[in-house]
Amino acid sequence: MSSRWTNRDDDEDEYLSQRKKQKEEKRRLRDEKQRKAEAEKANDLNIDEVGRLPKRLRTASPPQEDAPEVTHPFDNSTQSFGSSNTLDLYDVLNSIDEGSYGFVSRARVKGSGEVVALKRLKIDRSVEGFPVTGLREIQTLKACSHLHIVNLREIVLGGPSLQDVYLVMDFLEHDLKTLLEDMSEPFLPSETKTLMLQICSATEYLHSNWIVHRDFKTSNILMNNRGEIKLADFGMARYTGNPPPKLTQHVVTLWYRAPELLLGAEDYGFEIDIWSIGCIFAELLTREPVFQGKNEVSQLSEIFTLLGTPTTKTWPGFRSLPNAKALYPLLNTSTSRKPTLNAARFPYLTSGGLQCLSAMLALNPDDRPTAAKTLSHSYFKEDPRPKPKEMFPTFPSKAGQEKRRRRATPQAPNRGDAPKLEAEDFAGILKTAEHEPQGAGFALRMG
Amino acid sequence: MARHASLAIISNSLATSKQVLELKNRDATTSVVDANLFKTSLLTQFAGLLLHLPQEVIATSIIILQRFLVSSASIATEIDLLTTSQLIPEASLVSASAASVYLSAKQSFYPLSPRSIINVYALLTSPEASLLSFINSNATGIIHSSEPPNSRNYHVSEGAYETHRQALFDAESRILASLAFDTKVVLPHTLALTYMQALSASTVPLAERVLAHLNAALLSPQLLYLTHQPNALAVAAIYLAAREQEVALVDDEVAWWEVFDVGREGLGFLVLSMGSLNGFVEAEKVSWTGN
Ligand SMILES: Nc1ncnc2c1ncn2[C@@H]1O[C@H](COP(=O)(O)OP(=O)(O)OP(=O)(O)O)[C@@H](O)[C@H]1O
Ligand SMILES: [Mg+2]
Repeated sequence: MSSRWTNRDDDEDEYLSQRKKQKEEKRRLRDEKQRKAEAEKANDLNIDEVGRLPKRLRTASPPQEDAPEVTHPFDNSTQSFGSSNTLDLYDVLNSIDEGSYGFVSRARVKGSGEVVALKRLKIDRSVEGFPVTGLREIQTLKACSHLHIVNLREIVLGGPSLQDVYLVMDFLEHDLKTLLEDMSEPFLPSETKTLMLQICSATEYLHSNWIVHRDFKTSNILMNNRGEIKLADFGMARYTGNPPPKLTQHVVTLWYRAPELLLGAEDYGFEIDIWSIGCIFAELLTREPVFQGKNEVSQLSEIFTLLGTPTTKTWPGFRSLPNAKALYPLLNTSTSRKPTLNAARFPYLTSGGLQCLSAMLALNPDDRPTAAKTLSHSYFKEDPRPKPKEMFPTFPSKAGQEKRRRRATPQAPNRGDAPKLEAEDFAGILKTAEHEPQGAGFALRMG
Repeated sequence: MARHASLAIISNSLATSKQVLELKNRDATTSVVDANLFKTSLLTQFAGLLLHLPQEVIATSIIILQRFLVSSASIATEIDLLTTSQLIPEASLVSASAASVYLSAKQSFYPLSPRSIINVYALLTSPEASLLSFINSNATGIIHSSEPPNSRNYHVSEGAYETHRQALFDAESRILASLAFDTKVVLPHTLALTYMQALSASTVPLAERVLAHLNAALLSPQLLYLTHQPNALAVAAIYLAAREQEVALVDDEVAWWEVFDVGREGLGFLVLSMGSLNGFVEAEKVSWTGN
């Protein structure tokens, strides 16, 4: 592959052959993937339960290490590495959305005419070189290959000195946020189940590969007209470990942020994604985000209104989280609230569904089910059964036309200092509480 | 944890034969290219040690550096520098090494500041203070963590720091672009330990030799990590270590490597390359010090 750093004239031939190469590469990759999968399966079969080799191996002479003329036995079946392509392989059509970290547009592959989505990363190299968040977005998305995760085709460079970096993804007609806003009726229960199963299967895949997404929300879940959702926006995603490394709390858009994050935990894990998916579940049912706080404190207040306040019994250790002190009055048992997550709030949900939802929205992260466990919840097995994706209705796409209409976006995770909840912030709760629907049955007393 | 074969967990992107040939043919004498590849890899290894990076991050740095050198073989700049027979690698080669370390650390659980990287590279390229004997003829080539090197010899002024930092960032961007952001590296080390278990041959001394072979192979001018998958590297290191220690694996008559998807031919090449590395290193050392 020729260098993208030298100027080159972009004549038709050049990119047609590029496309061809890419296609061949793709095909090779697919074959390779299959080969590897089979090889792995074969490996699994060859090594028995106790991890011993089977005895039925062919006998053979030792490897010929003193063969006179040894050349590199190149393995031509694997992926090779080479320079990035440039943006001029694509015709940019129209912009879809400007998010906080990127800029997304629809584009067409020159030559083939396929429609793709381009996301330009906002990159400031002056502080730490190539930003680690951008690297993580690329690495985590690149590593994923799953039916319900958006397919990253390649990374291309653009702009006058090729400083701009674009993710080239398969294009999807909708995102769940825009779709929910435009629907006159919520999804049917059978459709909700299918969507939740798809979201959870993507999540199970991520988590079992040690990736935590950290920005689950409806606008980051894309949907096509074939009843399939694809998880997108890996701008906050990263690899984690056991035990988790120290992680930033500046993750997850406020409305979808788990209580442990709001309370300042730094050693959080996959459970924060499950919380967000719980929020999405509720939103699919009502078409409204379930918790719409104005700041960290009012967000917690909204959460406690619906779910009750935690106690040291229901959530041992929550009091030692960094922000818990400032919330002492809110968390004080004498003012504790009773949960109101019930059939009255979600009238169209079965008791199985309500159980599933409240498990995902457990205040104590340890009480939340894993994605794998959620997938096998009885809610998905009871009637009505999940609707086959082929039976999904199609919706008119906003992205195909002008910019997707946006309502005020809730605060995306910001990257400033860690939120410290001080007494002044706390005063805000009282105000917020006044606007809340009456009947939650709580009153706050300072000190 | 569930296993997902679809996630590229056990394979790497490899160099094409064309890429390696182009690199090796930059100079009429491949030995100059080989020597410079070795020096730059060694520089990277030493920087990683001084920066207290775990070996997995150092290994990733070396592989990213080598991928970069190979994939930019068609661009003149960096590669031409591999053909000069100078003692200290050219500045932009040093930047490439530094940027590989910076980039790998950034993507690991052990990120580093540009400042610490620049300081360590200033030390390692200082003819008076370097620990590398091809740069400083008085160097022992051994890192004693108890005696920190004299910091006066490699002090980086504010002005020079800015220049180095910019060079570091530029090199990082060049690396990313020339690899199309393919910086994911799968290492053979844990795989090797798993294989040893499967072969019922996990002993500490054997494991130590296996890991030593794998780490040494990183420095091979034959770019073994760019031309072979982790399973093949793991199998070759086990084969070599077992032979050295006269450990019989499974049944002598059995082609056990095939279980790990490695052919006899590929294994033969790797065993030969890994086995001859010592000779190459010794010859290199002689050429540096002249004795
Ligand atoms: N592959 C795609 N196909 C169609 N539309 C897409 C695609 N990827 C993203 N979009 C649209 O662009 C929007 C923003 O994309 P994305 O979330 O990746 O960017 P972002 O800048 O990180 O956003 P934010 O900060 O708002 O979360 C999405 O909500 C969606 O509407
Ligand atoms: Mg987004």
